Amino acid sequence: MEEVIRQQYSEQEKQNIFNQEFMPHINSMYNFAYRLTLDADDAKDLLQDTYLKAYRFIDSFQQGTNAKAWLFRILKNSFINDYRKRSKEPSKVDYQEVETFYNSEDVDRQITPDLRVEALQDMIGDEISNALNSLDVDFRTVIILCDLEGFKYEEMAKILDIPIGTVRSRLHRARNLLKEKLSEYAKSMGYKTT
Amino acid sequence: MSNVPDQKRMKQDCENKRECLEILQLILDGEASTEQKNHFLKEHLEECMPCYKNYHLEVAIRELLKTKCTNHAPQDLVDDIRKKIIQNLAR
Ligand SMILES: [Zn+2]
Repeated sequence: MEEVIRQQYSEQEKQNIFNQEFMPHINSMYNFAYRLTLDADDAKDLLQDTYLKAYRFIDSFQQGTNAKAWLFRILKNSFINDYRKRSKEPSKVDYQEVETFYNSEDVDRQITPDLRVEALQDMIGDEISNALNSLDVDFRTVIILCDLEGFKYEEMAKILDIPIGTVRSRLHRARNLLKEKLSEYAKSMGYKTT
Repeated sequence: MSNVPDQKRMKQDCENKRECLEILQLILDGEASTEQKNHFLKEHLEECMPCYKNYHLEVAIRELLKTKCTNHAPQDLVDDIRKKIIQNLAR
């Protein structure tokens, strides 16, 4: 991360920043918290912690920079430090292992399922939401940041503290995994996947 | 992508499926170069059936994600956060 330049905001300025720059992102932030924790109560706590932290560290936020990315980074760090350990998900496979596994060409070839648009159009329930939630949290995260929130790769790299190349490859794997899940649903709905 | 290409005259197989999928995702993510966009959208997509299908699939998945995977913050939570910050300010 680049060096943080500390500001000295007045109380009034702080309040303005909070209301005008931080609060407008609260729905996106809640959704991120919810998709990370997969639990409404944990999401509430995580969101509240994040906003209180954002307020406490407001002097390290520079006006005119991307407030949404700044907030997302705080939320993601809080999640890793405080929630990931006690989350209800099954214990994680070694992360490096996962990344190496999904980076191999073999896996890539296996998982390019023939999913059809027509099948997707019939997924009017929770299929896509369940498919997204079922992905490993690191894969879920990049899809949320990119496809739901529209962050650029460079912003994602900063939020996640990983190189841009990793953002790209992780996104690619994540989307393949999501498609694989969706084609399982499509199959169960009676769609042919050849 | 305005006119639907003549499907019978399109290639049924793509020799660069993996690379094409990567470029197509770059385009949809707004991260592709102008050359990549021109080549892929104006030339390749018109003649390559698997990529044409993939393009529409990727678009459909993104739309589905956006409509089905966004939960709004409960209003009482939003109010609570505001209240806590105001208390903080008063201190
Ligand atoms: Zn192609």
